[in-house]
Amino acid sequence: MHLVTTTTSPVLAERLVRRFGDIAAVDGVDLEVPAGEIFGFLGPNGAGKSTTVRMLTTLLRPTDGRAVVAGFDVSTHPSEVRKRIGVALQDAAIDPLMTGSELLDLQAVLYGIEKSRARVRAGELLERVGLTAAADRRVGTYSGGMRRRLDLALALMHEPVVLFLDEPTTGLDPMSRLALWEEVRYLNKELGTTVLLTTQYLEEADQLADRIAIIDRGRIVREGVPRELKAQVGAPTLLVTVPEEQRDATREVLLGFGDIRPTAEGTLGVGLRDGAEAIAAVVRSLDQAGVRLQHMELNEPSLDDVFAEATGHRLEGATSRLLEPGAGGPPGKKRRGRGGRK
Amino acid sequence: MTLAVTPDTVPEPLHVHLHQSAIRQTLALARRSLLGRLRQPAVLAPSFVFPLFFAALSASSYSRVKNAPGFPKVDSFLQFGLAAAIMQGAFFGATSAAADLAVDIEQGFWERLMASPVRRTSIVIGRLMSSFVIGALQSAVFIGILAVFGVRIRSGPIGVLVIVLSASLVSLAMSTLMSTFAIKTGSPEVVQGMFPLVFVMMFLSSTFMARELMNGWFRRVVDINPISYLAEGIRGFVIERPLTGWRFFEALAIPAIGCVLALGLCLRALRRRLAQM
Repeated sequence: MHLVTTTTSPVLAERLVRRFGDIAAVDGVDLEVPAGEIFGFLGPNGAGKSTTVRMLTTLLRPTDGRAVVAGFDVSTHPSEVRKRIGVALQDAAIDPLMTGSELLDLQAVLYGIEKSRARVRAGELLERVGLTAAADRRVGTYSGGMRRRLDLALALMHEPVVLFLDEPTTGLDPMSRLALWEEVRYLNKELGTTVLLTTQYLEEADQLADRIAIIDRGRIVREGVPRELKAQVGAPTLLVTVPEEQRDATREVLLGFGDIRPTAEGTLGVGLRDGAEAIAAVVRSLDQAGVRLQHMELNEPSLDDVFAEATGHRLEGATSRLLEPGAGGPPGKKRRGRGGRK
Repeated sequence: MTLAVTPDTVPEPLHVHLHQSAIRQTLALARRSLLGRLRQPAVLAPSFVFPLFFAALSASSYSRVKNAPGFPKVDSFLQFGLAAAIMQGAFFGATSAAADLAVDIEQGFWERLMASPVRRTSIVIGRLMSSFVIGALQSAVFIGILAVFGVRIRSGPIGVLVIVLSASLVSLAMSTLMSTFAIKTGSPEVVQGMFPLVFVMMFLSSTFMARELMNGWFRRVVDINPISYLAEGIRGFVIERPLTGWRFFEALAIPAIGCVLALGLCLRALRRRLAQM
C-alpha cells in the first residue's frame, strides 16, 4: 500500500514544520499545488521557502506535519518521490569538470533510463535549452545562464511529474532570465509540467506564477492568484509632482479623491478611491486650483504592496533597481514602487 | 485540506519501464569521479611527482645504508624505496579523492545526488572506485619509471601484478578512511589538513627504512603501525623472489581488511549524515 492522496494535486503539504534547534525555519505551512500549475513561492532570504522546498524534495525531513509529493509521502516513501520529481536547486553546483552531455548521461543512469532512450532524450533537451553546440564543452566554461539552462535540462531528463526550481534566476543577467522564463512557460503550457518555483523577485512571481504563496518567517501569510492578491490590497496610488509652494494646495485637492499615502520626498501620493477612472477628474481639479502639474504617474498595487500589507514590511531587495539591466534582478516592465520603503 | 491514506491508485510515472541498476549507477559515478581527477592535472601531478622526487632524494642520500648489517638484500636503495614511492602516491591520491568528495558536499553536487533516486552507498562507493584505479595507475607508472633506472621486481610478472593490486587496495583503504572525515565534516580543508598527520604516521612506520635498523620506542611504534605491514607487503614482492603465503597475505589480505574496516567507518559516517537531514 502506498501513501497517496485523495486529490490529484502533485504537491500537498499539511502543517509542515522544520525546526533547527529552537528556531522554526518553517512553521506550519499548508500548501496545495494542482496539476499543471506554476506555483510561485515568494519571500525574502531566510523566510523558509528553500527549507520548504528541501522538505518537499526529500532533502530534509519535516520535524512535524506531512507532505505528499507526486502521490507519495516524503517521509515514508522518499525514494518513490525522488523518482517522480525534477529538482534544480540554487545551491546545488553542477560539476564544472564534466561536459553538458556527460552530466546528462550521468543523470540518465541515476534515474535508470536506458542508454538508447537517454541519448535521444539528451539530444532533445540540449536542443530545447539551446545548448547543443556547447554540449561537449566542460561546464566550467559555461556562463551562469547556460548552467541554469543545463540544470533545467538535467531536472527534466526523466520527465518528472513535478519540477521544483529553487530561485532559478538568482544572479542571472536580464537576457538569461528572460530565456529561462520562456523555458518554464513552455514546459508548463506545452508539456503540462507542474512547476513549483521559489523566488525573491516580485516580477518573477508576477510574470510566471499562476498562483503564489508569500512566506515570511516560516509562515504563509498570503496565497492566491497574483492579480487578485493585488486587487485585495486596495486602490492604485497616483503620484503627483508639483512646485514646492503649491504642495499644500495640491494636498487639499487630492484629499477629495482618496487617502494621502507616504511617497518619496517632493512627490505627493493619493490612493484613488475610484481607481484609474478618477485621473481625469484629478487633473481637472488641479487645473482649476491653479496647480502647475510637473509630473504624474499611476502605480497599480504590486506584489510588494501585498507583501507589505501582509507582513508589515517590504520585501528586501524588491526595488525598481531589480528591473534595470545588470542590477541583479529580473527584467520586465518598469515598476514604479511607492516611496517610504522601510 | 486533509491528507488521506488510500490504497495505491496513482498511475506509475512515465519512466516506469526504466531499467534500474545499482551497479550501473555506481560505475557511472566512478567514471565521473575518475574523469574529474584526470581532468585536474595540477591536483593529480603531486601524487606522481613528489614520491618520485622523494625516491630519487633518498636513493642518493642513503645509498650506503643498503650495506648496513641487517638491511634487506637489495640491488640499490632505489629498489628498496619503490614501495615507499607507491605508498606515498597512494596516500597522496587518497587524500585528493576524499577532498573531492568533501568538495561535492560543500558545493552542492552531493545534494544533487541526494535528490535523485540513486542508492546512497553507490555515491560513496563510486567515488572510492576511482581511488582503486588511480592507485593501480600510479603504481604501474612508478614501477615503469624506476625500471628505467635499473629497479627490477624480483618476484617477476606475478609480483608486478600483486604490487599493482596491493597498491590499489592501499589507495582504496586510505581513501575510504579519509572519506569518512569528508562525509563527517563536508570540508575539503579538514581533509587536506589530515594529510600531515598521515605523513607522520608513514614516518612512524617501516615505509622509508628497514625495520631491522630500528630500536627502542621507535621500533615498538613501527611494529604496531599497520602502515608498516602495508609497505612491507609491497616491498616483499619488489626485493624477494620466493612468493610465500605470508607475503601474499601481507600484500593483499591486510590492505583488503583495511578496506573493509574503513568502509565500515565510512558507511557509519554516511548513515549519520543522512540521519541529520
